Amino acid sequence: MTKQNTLREIEKKAYMSYHQDGLIDIVIGVYALSFGLGIAMDRIWGFSFGAIMPAILISIVLPIWIHAKRKITMPRIGFVKFGARGANKLFALLLGLSVAGLGFALAFGFFMATGQNGRPVWIEMLFQYGMIWIGLGASVIGSLFAYTMGLKRLHGYGLLTLALFVSGYFLSIPFEYFVLAIGSVIIASGAALLVRFIRKYPLPKGAQGNVAQ
Amino acid sequence: MSPSDAGIQNIDRLIHEPSRLTIMMHLYVVESADFQFLQNQTGMTPGNLSSHLRKLEDAGYVEVTKEFLDRTPHTALKLTRKGREAFKEYRRNVKQFIDKLPE
Repeated sequence: MTKQNTLREIEKKAYMSYHQDGLIDIVIGVYALSFGLGIAMDRIWGFSFGAIMPAILISIVLPIWIHAKRKITMPRIGFVKFGARGANKLFALLLGLSVAGLGFALAFGFFMATGQNGRPVWIEMLFQYGMIWIGLGASVIGSLFAYTMGLKRLHGYGLLTLALFVSGYFLSIPFEYFVLAIGSVIIASGAALLVRFIRKYPLPKGAQGNVAQ
Repeated sequence: MSPSDAGIQNIDRLIHEPSRLTIMMHLYVVESADFQFLQNQTGMTPGNLSSHLRKLEDAGYVEVTKEFLDRTPHTALKLTRKGREAFKEYRRNVKQFIDKLPE
């Protein structure tokens, strides 16, 4: 007998099988690594690499991800088009985060520019506990993406980020080292998933790295 | 004829067969999928899957499209509008039948 929750389970299983290749993890890890490298290069050369490194690397990595999906994932498990519902949820999340980020930046800039009698308490707390707030923010964002995309391991990445940033605050370790560590861990996790995926789904006979019939 | 007898007569027997029901469920939750993906998800053998797909295609429930993806031939499978409506009707009828069964 068909039930709504059985259909949801089937949809979830189909979606999960498509994203168990670890490729999205590698992309996220590269993004974090590039951010950390940018900050490290800022310190060494005094040039704002931190802002442009992620953009440069992502513009290279994203096409590679799409190509890898076609050459590695699709020949092994086939090709599927999911409905628009998941894409809409993701778009809504990205839009919400963008609006929230913009709102926060505007409020921050406003209070910084107009604080003639010293900064408000909440801004002082942001500066004082910056590492912890960044870790908390990353953890929340990771959980939101995990919920939206149905990839539970993103919760783990968010919690790892929080744990490292909180540790970094108390151990007074430079910020970029944490970002580099997080990026490396996520890339390693993605690579392990990719190896497991390739072993679990060998290429069907007759397929030569392209989508098989 | 009891209400439950009437209900069971309305159940689409083409969809009710377990393998075809599995195929319909998997195609219902996606926009389209190819043969290999469907085979991976359902665990059916290629011959078995082909046979059931042919029956569903003959009934107008499944549309089979041959296309090219990266210059490689590729068979896309999707439920037709008739197939989606038939599946929704099947779900309603099964639910009604189950609900009318005595405790």
